[in-house]
Amino acid sequence: MDDGVLTTLKLLIIGESGVGKSSLLLRFTDDTFDPEQSATIGVDFKVKTLSIEGNRAKLAIWDTAGQERFRTLTPSYYRGAQGVILVYDVTRRDSFMKLENWLNELETYSTRNDVVKMLVGNKIDQDDREVDRNEGLKFARKHSMLFIEASAKTKDGVQCAFEELVEKILQTPGLWESEHQGQAFQLKDQDPGRGRACGGYCSIP
Amino acid sequence: MGGNWCAHPCLMPLSWDNFRVVEFPAPLKETGSVSESLNFEHQLRLLPHQRGDIPHTESWYGIQEFVVITPGTNSEAVISESKCNLLLSSVSISLANSGCQIPMFVQIQQKWRRIYAGECHGPGVRTSFEMVQLRKVPSQYNHLSGLLDIFKSKIGCNLLPLPPVDIAIRFTYILQDWQQPIWPQQPPGLELHLAATWLHLTEGIVVDNDVYSDLDPLQAPHWSVRVRTSENPQCLLGDFVTEFFKLCCRKESVEDILGRGYAEEEGKEAADISSALSKLTEPVAAVPLPKLSVSSMVHSARKHIHRHRHIDESPLHIDILKSILLYLFPDAAVEKSSDSQSKMPTNSSKTSEEKLCDNLVLQLKSAPTDSLTYRLALGLCMVNYSYGGLPAVAHLWQEFVLELRYRWENNYLIYGLAGGPPDLRCCLLHQKLQMLNCCIERRRRRDEAPSGMGGSRQREHKASCGQGPSSAAATSSNQAKSWDSWSDSEDEFFECLSDQEDTESLRSERGPDSGKGKAEGRLHPYNDLTLLNSMEPLYVPVTQEPAPMTEDQLEEQSEVLAKLGTSAEGSHLRARMQSACLVSDMESFKAANPGCVLEDFVRWYSPRDYEEKYEVDEKGNKVLTGELSARMKIPGNMWAEAWEISRVTPARRQRRLFDDTKEAEKILHYLTMQKPGDLARHLLPCLLHAALLKLQQEESVEKIPSVEKNIQQAITQANLLLHSGSYDYKKLEDFINQLVVMETVITRARSLKDKFAVDKGEPGEATEELKKFVSSLLEEPEVVVTGAGQGLTGRIIHRLFLNAQRAALLVPGDDDLEPERKKAGESGKTSDFPSPAGREIILRTYVPRPAPYSKALPQRLFCVLMKEEFRLAGAFSSDTSFF
Ligand SMILES: Nc1nc2c(ncn2[C@@H]2O[C@H](COP(=O)(O)OP(=O)(O)O)[C@@H](O)[C@H]2O)c(=O)[nH]1
Ligand SMILES: [Mg+2]
Repeated sequence: MDDGVLTTLKLLIIGESGVGKSSLLLRFTDDTFDPEQSATIGVDFKVKTLSIEGNRAKLAIWDTAGQERFRTLTPSYYRGAQGVILVYDVTRRDSFMKLENWLNELETYSTRNDVVKMLVGNKIDQDDREVDRNEGLKFARKHSMLFIEASAKTKDGVQCAFEELVEKILQTPGLWESEHQGQAFQLKDQDPGRGRACGGYCSIP
Repeated sequence: MGGNWCAHPCLMPLSWDNFRVVEFPAPLKETGSVSESLNFEHQLRLLPHQRGDIPHTESWYGIQEFVVITPGTNSEAVISESKCNLLLSSVSISLANSGCQIPMFVQIQQKWRRIYAGECHGPGVRTSFEMVQLRKVPSQYNHLSGLLDIFKSKIGCNLLPLPPVDIAIRFTYILQDWQQPIWPQQPPGLELHLAATWLHLTEGIVVDNDVYSDLDPLQAPHWSVRVRTSENPQCLLGDFVTEFFKLCCRKESVEDILGRGYAEEEGKEAADISSALSKLTEPVAAVPLPKLSVSSMVHSARKHIHRHRHIDESPLHIDILKSILLYLFPDAAVEKSSDSQSKMPTNSSKTSEEKLCDNLVLQLKSAPTDSLTYRLALGLCMVNYSYGGLPAVAHLWQEFVLELRYRWENNYLIYGLAGGPPDLRCCLLHQKLQMLNCCIERRRRRDEAPSGMGGSRQREHKASCGQGPSSAAATSSNQAKSWDSWSDSEDEFFECLSDQEDTESLRSERGPDSGKGKAEGRLHPYNDLTLLNSMEPLYVPVTQEPAPMTEDQLEEQSEVLAKLGTSAEGSHLRARMQSACLVSDMESFKAANPGCVLEDFVRWYSPRDYEEKYEVDEKGNKVLTGELSARMKIPGNMWAEAWEISRVTPARRQRRLFDDTKEAEKILHYLTMQKPGDLARHLLPCLLHAALLKLQQEESVEKIPSVEKNIQQAITQANLLLHSGSYDYKKLEDFINQLVVMETVITRARSLKDKFAVDKGEPGEATEELKKFVSSLLEEPEVVVTGAGQGLTGRIIHRLFLNAQRAALLVPGDDDLEPERKKAGESGKTSDFPSPAGREIILRTYVPRPAPYSKALPQRLFCVLMKEEFRLAGAFSSDTSFF
C-alpha cells in the first residue's frame, strides 16, 4: 500500500569504520545481524517505510564506509540529507574521540544547517566497554544531538534510534516541507512534552 | 477616516432603467442624526482615496452613512434635467414614505463628473444635497469672498444681522523633484504634500479676495505633511531584478537570437585560438601557443567556434563588452602566465559581515560574492537592463563561454573560483565552473611532470602496455573490466610525478630488496610501520584522486546506485561499481610496496580491520601479533577479491579515474547549450543574493526597523523559493515586488533624512525632533508639523519650497535673490510657495430656513478648487415642522 507514504526522508549513517553502521542498518531494515557482513565499499543504500503516529514516511538510508580514503567520496551524499546518524563503538575509545572530526565534516558538507543529528553508541552488548554512557550523553548535549546507546547484535535501542530521529525531523517543518511542497502532512500532536514511544534513552531537543 | 466599507449592491426596479443601489453603512460607528454628521470637523481631505466606485460623498458632504443610486454599468447616465428631477423626486417620495433617515443620493450627469445629488429626511428636518462641478474655477469664485457670496445666496438668507459663518480652509502645496536616489539616474519618485490649515476662521477676520489675501501658508496655524510616491516609482535595483527575472521565461536559444552565422565555423582561422578577450587585451602574438597536443575532440569542437565577428552586427558594443569581460575576468588585465596562480585569495579570518554573506550563500544556494559566478550574474543583469536585453545577454554569454574554452585549451585556471571539488551548496552553474577548473588543474598537474619522465602521455601509454609488472597483469584485464565499470576513461592515463617520488624510487632501487621489484609511486613512509613479510618500511602510495562531481552527476550516480535495489545482490553490485577507487589504491599500494600482502594494505587503509594483540610466546616474551578482522577474513569477500585482481601499477600508469578532458568537454558543451532563459534561472539566486545584500547594506545605513525585519523574512522566504526543485514564478514575482517595496522605503527614508538634514544637525533637542518627524513620515500616512510654519521642522519645509521655487523660476544659484525679494515687501512672500495644488474650503452656519421663524439648522458648503476642477457640494437643511 503505497498511498499511505506521505514523505520521503533522506538519512545518512556516518562514523569510523567498524563501529557497526552497516550492522545497525541491517538490524533496522531486516531485523537481522550478520557477522559475515563485509566491510562497506563506498556507500550502500537501503529503504524502509516507517509509521509514526499514523503518518508513514519512506526512509532512504545511505550507509557510508568510514575509512579515510572513502571520505573524499562520501561528502557528496551529505547533500540534502535531513537526518544523520553518527555512530561510535562504546568498546573503542578512539572511535569516540573521532566524533568531533565527523561533526566538522558534516558541518562542512551538509547543504542545510537544520539537519537533525542522532548520536548512537553501539555494541553495548560487549563487556569491554571503554566509553561511559554519560560521556556519550554529554557529548550529544554539547552538540545538540539526540542520543541513544544500542546494540545491533541484541537489537537494543536500534528501532528507537531511527524512530526518534524521524519523529524529530517531522517536527521540524522547514526540514522536509520545502522539498515536498503541496503534500499535506500534519502531525496531530505538536506538544513536545508528550510521552515518548520508548524508554531507556535520552533525547536532547 | 475610512474604515471598512462594505457595499451591498442590489437592483432597484425603476420603470425606465436599471439602477444599481449601493448602501454605504457607517464605517466605524453608527453616526447620529444627519445634522450631527453635518458637524463639520470631518477632516478636510484633498483628493480622498477612491475605493472602487465609492463616491466622494463622504468628504464632500461630510457624512458617513448613505445610500447611492448609480446607473448600472451598462446603462446610460442620467443627463436630461427632467430625468434628474424625476429621479430626485422619486427619491424624496420614497424617503418620505419609508421614514428612512439615511441620506440617499443619485448619481446624475456624466459618470466621470461624479456628481451626486440627494436628500435626507430627519425628524422635522429635510436636508438637500446639491453639487456643482466645473472644469475651471470661475474667476469670481476663485477666493473666499466669492465663495461666501455663493453660500449666502444659496441659503437664501436675507436676514440681518447675518449669523457668523464658520470657515475652515486647507491649502495643499506639492513639492516635487526632491528625491535622492540610491542608484544614479533615478527619476524623481516622491512628492511632499504640505497642507496648511486654518480651522474656525470667522468671516471678516480674514480677507481673501481678488486683489488681496491674508491666507499666507506660513501663518497657517496647522501644518501637516504627507509623502506620496509618484505613480511609477522608479527603483533601479527593483527594475534590474525584475527585468532579469523576466528572462527566466524566455525560450530562445543563443542561436535563435544571434543568428546561425554567429556560431558558424570559420575554418581558415583554426590556428588562431585566442579568445575574444585576449584579442582585446593583448596582441595576438603574445598569446602563447598551446603546449599540448589537444585531443581531437577539442580540435573539432573548436572548429565550430566563430572567431571573427563583424563588430557592427554585435548586440553589445565592443567597448562595453570589453569592460564587462574585464570585470568578469580581472586577471586578463595582468599578463597571463600559466605559472601565475589565478585562484581565489585563500580565505583568512573572516569578518562577521563575510560570515553573514556566507550564510546567504547557503540560504539562497547562490555563490560567493567574490566568485566569477556572482559577477556573471551581475554582468548579465547589467547588459540585460542597460545594453540591449536578450540579444546582449546571448552575446555576452557566448563570449563568456569562448573565454572559458580558451582557458581550458591553454591551461589557465579560471579566476574567481574556490579550488577543490565543486561546492554542492552553491548553484549548479557555479559547480560546473568549479568542475571546469578542476579539469584544468588536473591537466596542469599532469603537464607539470618533468619532461624526461614521460611528460608526453603518448609515451607513457606505450610504456604501460609494453613492459613491467603491468604486462603480467594484462591477462587478468578481462576480469578487471567488470571492476572498472565506474571509471569512464578508456585510454587516458593518470600521471603524477613529484621530485620526492623520484628520489624515493631511486633509493629503493639501490636498497637491499631491490631484487623483489622496483618500488614505484611512493609518497612517504607510514607511521614507521614495516611490511609484515620484510623489514622494508610500509609506504603510503601516490594515489589517484577520486573524480569530483557536480550535484547533477551525483544525483545521477546515486540514482543508479539506488536503482540496484536493497537486496544482497544489489548491495554487492553497488560495492563493485564503487570499487574502482579501491582497486586503484590497491594497485598503487602494490607498486609502492613490493612484496606486500593484503594485511599490509589493510593496516594503512582500514586499520580497524587489522586486530593486534599482545601474546606471550613460548619463551615468555610478550609479542605483538595481528590478524585481519573477521569480516576481512571471510573467503571471497570483496576486499580480498579486489586484492586478488589488482595489478602492480603506480597511479601514474593506471587508467585515469577522472578523465579531465572528457569532463571539460562535457561541461563546455553544457555551457554552450544554455539558453539565456536557462542562464537567468541558474543565476537568479545570485542576483537575489546581490539584491538582498544591497538592501541590507542600505538599510544598515538608514536603520529602518521595519525594513530590517522584512529583509530577514525575505531571506527565509527566498530560501524556500530557491531550494524547491522548480521555481514558482508567481511567488517569485511577489517576492521581487517585496524587494521593490523595501527599496522604495529606503530611498524615501534617504531623501527625507537628507532633505531634513537629520544627520548634519548637532545633537540636541532640535535634531531629536527632526528625527522623530522623519521617522513618523516613514511610518504614518500624515504627520502634523509641530509649530506649523514657525517651528523648526516647518522652517526646513519652508526652505525646501523656497529652493524649489527659485530653481523653477529663476537662474539657479542666484544668491542675491533674497535681499531683493525682501525689499519687494510683503507680497513677495507668497512666492515662497507655488500656487496651491488644491484649496478646500468649508463654510458652515446655522440659519433658520425656509422661514425666519423656522428652527436654525446647519448649512454647509464644501468647495474644492483645483487646477482642473471646481466643485461645490452643498448641504442645505430646512425645517419641515415649523415653516
Ligand atoms: N558485539 C557486537 N558486534 C557488532 C555490533 N555491531 C556490529 N558488530 C560487529 O562489528 C564489526 C563491524 O560492523 P559493521 O556493521 O560492518 O561496521 P561498519 O564498518 O561501521 O559498517 C562486524 O564484525 C560486526 O559483526 C554489535 O552491536 N555488537
Ligand atoms: Mg559498513
